[in-house]
Amino acid sequence: VLNFKYRGSPLIPEMATQEVQLNETLAHLKTESETLKSKLEEERAKLHDVELHQVAEKVEGLGQFVMKTRRTLKGHGNKVLCMDWCKDKRRIVSSSQDGKVIVWDAFTTNKEHAVTMPCTWVMACAYAPSGCAVACGGLDNKCSVYPLSLDKNENLAAKKKSVAMHTNYLSACSFTNSDMQILTSSGDGTCALWDVESGQLLQSFHGHAADVLCLDLAPSETGNTFVSGGCDKKANVWDMRSGQCIQSFETHESDINSVRYYPSGDAFASGSDDATCRLYDLRADREVAIYSKESIIFGVSSVDFSLSGRLLFGGYNDYTINVWDVLKGTRVSILFGHENRVSTLRVSPDGTAFSTGSWDHTLRVCDDCYFLSNLTTLQPRVTFLVTSCNVCCFSLFFFFLSDLGLRMRTQRMKW
Amino acid sequence: MMSSKAHSSNNIANARRTVQQLRIEASIERIKVSKACADLMSYCSEHARSDPLLMGIPASDNPFKDKKPCTIL
Repeated sequence: VLNFKYRGSPLIPEMATQEVQLNETLAHLKTESETLKSKLEEERAKLHDVELHQVAEKVEGLGQFVMKTRRTLKGHGNKVLCMDWCKDKRRIVSSSQDGKVIVWDAFTTNKEHAVTMPCTWVMACAYAPSGCAVACGGLDNKCSVYPLSLDKNENLAAKKKSVAMHTNYLSACSFTNSDMQILTSSGDGTCALWDVESGQLLQSFHGHAADVLCLDLAPSETGNTFVSGGCDKKANVWDMRSGQCIQSFETHESDINSVRYYPSGDAFASGSDDATCRLYDLRADREVAIYSKESIIFGVSSVDFSLSGRLLFGGYNDYTINVWDVLKGTRVSILFGHENRVSTLRVSPDGTAFSTGSWDHTLRVCDDCYFLSNLTTLQPRVTFLVTSCNVCCFSLFFFFLSDLGLRMRTQRMKW
Repeated sequence: MMSSKAHSSNNIANARRTVQQLRIEASIERIKVSKACADLMSYCSEHARSDPLLMGIPASDNPFKDKKPCTIL
């Protein structure tokens, strides 16, 4: 179909012909693009034979969980925006709107290091795998690495190394398997992989149509990919070596604030401003579960899985944390405590606890209140102890009763 | 001010990229949802025992628990 609409009138007849040819090609490409999109939907739908919660019907239910706050980390002067665990399972790095980045010992709640960034809104921070450095950035459009020294008095800012440069704010950063490379995502719509030592750009990832808000690296066993989520409502899976987007998912109805891989690496979860969390399976190439309730209307800022992948923790803008049964799609717990939005949430590396950061200036470390939530699945030795304790108590009670009865009978006989 | 020809070329370049990207995405190998879900479920059950937030861990092993005199009560 010839398209005769074009701006301005060409001065030379040849230009008019070329113009028309270009428009033909454009229309042709657009048609092909639409055809491919429908084909993609068709192929995905062909394999959609069942829903996850249907397959999970035969799985034992979890019952209600009771989660408790074990530590509250106070010290930030403004909204906590991001946090990350150290691989040693006890240290935490957090960053805040006030420009401060703090390293905490979560066991003792002591502050081990503090750095003041030259900008406010430090939206991203990450711990290096070695535990010897932290990376952070935000409105300065950069990602900087600070080596952590054992000397608490040393000025960390002096050793700062600028690694990444974007043309808009830094929204997330993560070290790869080593301290040598950092992956970043930015408000400029791109992700990028950088060499820490030289600051060189190793690979850039283009494909999002708006700000990229989050990223997560695939578990090391599953290869060199990562997933990113953005304001274009898309979650993209990327090949780190080629820079190619290999899969794309667009089912959310608003910005995707957080993405996290399932522990096996075969799926990932996302949290969005549309108040839902969703699970996407990479091998089925589609969304396989939605975690939502009519009563939940505030956006999800942050998601993470427990170690087995059975639980999904979500931090919400209504100040709560909702815990979901990943397989059955039901909510198993809700945690209150923060006095403002939960902005960041991470499960510890050994899965014993999870930490949350909030706009109420604090961080909390929470875990599973063992006794109450596991009455049906107690470990054998505790079951034995509890049973024997009960037996002892009951026996004592019966002895007491029969003793009392004997005394009363003896009393009556005396009368 | 871009000439209309340059503008069309840009649009074409973008459209070509979109088509290439869609070709790649459409051609990947997929498995059935039932199989994918079965694998997710088996991963959960294999690792459930070693998931502290799922199973809970004894107070003596949890560094975040406050030490109480009697762990049974």
